[in-house]
Amino acid sequence: MKKNFAARAATLTVALSVIAGLTACGEKKALNPDIYADKDKYVTYTDGVLTEIKKPDKIKLVTDTNLTIENGREKFRTEYEKLTGIELELEQPAHNQYYEKINLSFAGGEMPDVMEVGNTYYPNYANYGALFDMTDIWNDSDLKNGRLTDWNGDVVTIDEKYVDALKITCDINKDGKVDDNEKDRLYGFPMARGNGTVTYVRGDWLKKLGEENKLGYTHAVNEVPTYKGEEIDFSDDFKAEFGEYIQYMPKNYDEFLSMLRAFKNMKSGTIPITAAGLINSEAPYDIYLREFYQDARPDFYIPEGSDKYVDGMSEPKMLDALQRMQDAFREGLMDREIITNKTSTSRNKFYDGKVGCFNYWSGMWCKNLNQDLQKRNKGGVAVPMPPLEETEYMERPPTAIAITTAAENPWGIYKWICEFSHDGREGQMLFSRGVEGGDIKEVDEKDAGHYKWIEKNKKAEALTPIASPDSKDLVQKSWFSPELSINSFPDPIEIDNKITSSLDMFAKTSRVNPVPKMTLNIADAMTEISTIREEIISKVVKGEMSPAEGVKDYENRAKLEIQTMMRELNGASEA
Amino acid sequence: MASTTKSVKPMEQLGSLKSKNKSSSLGGRIKRYANFYVMFIPVLVILFLFYYLPMYGIKYAFTEFTPFGPATWTGLDNFVKLFEARRFWDAFNNTLFLSIINLTLSMVFSVGIALLMNEIGRLFVKKFVQTIIYLPHFLSWVVVAGIFTIILSQETGVVNLVLEKMGFEKIDFLTNESWWRSIFFFINRWKETGWGTIIFIAALSGISPDLYEAAEIDGAGRLKQTWYITIPSLMNTILVVFILNLAKIMNIFESVFVLYNASVYTVSDVIQTYTYRVGMQGTFNYGYSTAVGLFKSFVALILVGFSNFMSSKVTGKGIV
Repeated sequence: MKKNFAARAATLTVALSVIAGLTACGEKKALNPDIYADKDKYVTYTDGVLTEIKKPDKIKLVTDTNLTIENGREKFRTEYEKLTGIELELEQPAHNQYYEKINLSFAGGEMPDVMEVGNTYYPNYANYGALFDMTDIWNDSDLKNGRLTDWNGDVVTIDEKYVDALKITCDINKDGKVDDNEKDRLYGFPMARGNGTVTYVRGDWLKKLGEENKLGYTHAVNEVPTYKGEEIDFSDDFKAEFGEYIQYMPKNYDEFLSMLRAFKNMKSGTIPITAAGLINSEAPYDIYLREFYQDARPDFYIPEGSDKYVDGMSEPKMLDALQRMQDAFREGLMDREIITNKTSTSRNKFYDGKVGCFNYWSGMWCKNLNQDLQKRNKGGVAVPMPPLEETEYMERPPTAIAITTAAENPWGIYKWICEFSHDGREGQMLFSRGVEGGDIKEVDEKDAGHYKWIEKNKKAEALTPIASPDSKDLVQKSWFSPELSINSFPDPIEIDNKITSSLDMFAKTSRVNPVPKMTLNIADAMTEISTIREEIISKVVKGEMSPAEGVKDYENRAKLEIQTMMRELNGASEA
Repeated sequence: MASTTKSVKPMEQLGSLKSKNKSSSLGGRIKRYANFYVMFIPVLVILFLFYYLPMYGIKYAFTEFTPFGPATWTGLDNFVKLFEARRFWDAFNNTLFLSIINLTLSMVFSVGIALLMNEIGRLFVKKFVQTIIYLPHFLSWVVVAGIFTIILSQETGVVNLVLEKMGFEKIDFLTNESWWRSIFFFINRWKETGWGTIIFIAALSGISPDLYEAAEIDGAGRLKQTWYITIPSLMNTILVVFILNLAKIMNIFESVFVLYNASVYTVSDVIQTYTYRVGMQGTFNYGYSTAVGLFKSFVALILVGFSNFMSSKVTGKGIV
């Protein structure tokens, strides 16, 4: 009885103190800033009721990117333990063996509590019941419901379209039962935006040809490219970096071809456009060569205004897209080696100054491409081109941090990993920028120590990586990319204009692609479909078959798999 | 003088041998060779642990098995699915074609180069040539693929530049179905021929010089000596190498994986690359991948048995 009373009293005390905290801090300071570190339990609302979440004693985390030993994994781990009081067991297998190792850990019963998982594998793991369904946790979370505050006392807001992009329908429901498709369940939390590719144009060539009237088209000086019929609102950063090239940008496909021809005629050996392949190896498959695919999609997708999936490869607009690519290849406008190009080979061609247009990632790569291009080509500028009127850019689904079904305390892990890494404060600083004194430092170093200076709105700067102290490059991130943050994070480190401007243009002219629907049968069928599709597109582009022959061949060879896909995606009536 | 030697009849001799054998059979023999058995134990343990115990995993070929749950017995379903998959049969045919041609070329070139090297008189030159031709073997396939992608590049490759200068059309060597296999064989020979000569050069050094001297006295020239002495003396080695390599032909993977691309799948996709795509990139269905692997091993076993049979027919003895 006494025990019961004590428990009730404790709960009441905690509840009252939280309420008092809420009242005292006003609208902006909803929670104690040090709550992650100071308490063994975290108090939040679940279905409108105050709930205690137990802090995990230990978390086993497996990562795939950036947290290598050379990048300072140990200091990350130590800092996390210092900030949270949780023991962190952190592993990062070699990148090319990552999923093999993860699978082995599942097969051997040594599963991690939480892991990084790319969007290609994410639905597969969810389908096999390997990932914890965190839909309810997310819905009740402080982050979603605006109960977290950042350094400045502002409520942390999150762009939910990136969370929604990870919601999927699986064979397995939240209770682990098979064949009970529950729609739109969340099995992972976005680390950052998925990002996507934009077409980079050699701005110096473009401007020169434009000034010499050799582009085959002209635009008024103040004419702004449009996206979906409206003028693109370029950021000030974009205008400052690339404003002088905007008037020469091609606006539609005809102008784009005209520009490619102008590049081709400029100098012998010039490759007007290249990319790391004709089709991407993971969804969205049409992330490259948007100017040629336009509205055609070489995948199963739901067209706007419909609720049924269609096979994009069999649509008439795919014939047009294939024809455009075949024509461009035949005319010598497209890299002859586009089929065998790896990302590194196509990048090197661009750095060597041989390429006019190059389809590659926006953001950090905008800065890197410009830097490396200028090293080998004085005056070379890589300008991120807005999409043509006929198309838009594609943003891939985010990479997820997923809690496995082996985790004993998923609520605690969500709170101290998923939410902590997006808290707009110390947690996010650690996960994105790194450790003070190791990866970053306060500019004037007067208030150094556990990020406290950030509350005074002081700025920070990145340091050189510990593995290469003599390097000219600075630490860009610890784990998550800060420039791709999905929440309102007051980052104390200034981000390069080229990065922000390309990302801003990309965000304004792209669509976030959700993780594709996945069942065990879909996963099975997609392996064969991907192989056939890749083969057919390559052969059509090379001119070994016409687009119509190619699509017919695809439909014949993948007939059974296409039937499976349509049945799984749209229900039995489509079989 | 009467002989004191006791004459022993053949049948008695046999009986005594039998009884001697009997007395030393099993227990006696074990005792006699005990030290050898003890020395053999580590080998036996390693064989058991790393070769025989893993064979228990064969059972997964008859199950649906993913890392995320217990294996479910599905009988022959995986094999039915395998034999119904058209791409599997394409991959199977490609595996046999690419491997057998590659193996044949390997034997011809390695033996040929070994014979030529055997004719080099100056030791320095011989060692220098050996070093040069062994080097490519030590390059990883990724590096080799990179080198040849550059050399054969349509845009900047030296081969295409020469062809263009000579007035020919540029050739897309690595994305053209009719060229890919020839290029694949060429690259394989460039990389591995030197290494393949080692065993043959060793075997050549073991041929008795007396045979050549005798042949020379009989008036045989270099060609006849090669034909009637060198090649017959090498035949056993050639057969052993051939059979050992034949057992491995179904394992072809890395050399294809780094050189193939979507437009040549029809002529380049082999069982290992097919298994990789299905097992690792697709559904994590290890049961199916195991079934593919088991079938592959079964084919390899038949090939080795066949080679051994042929060896017995041709030379009068097998090696297995």
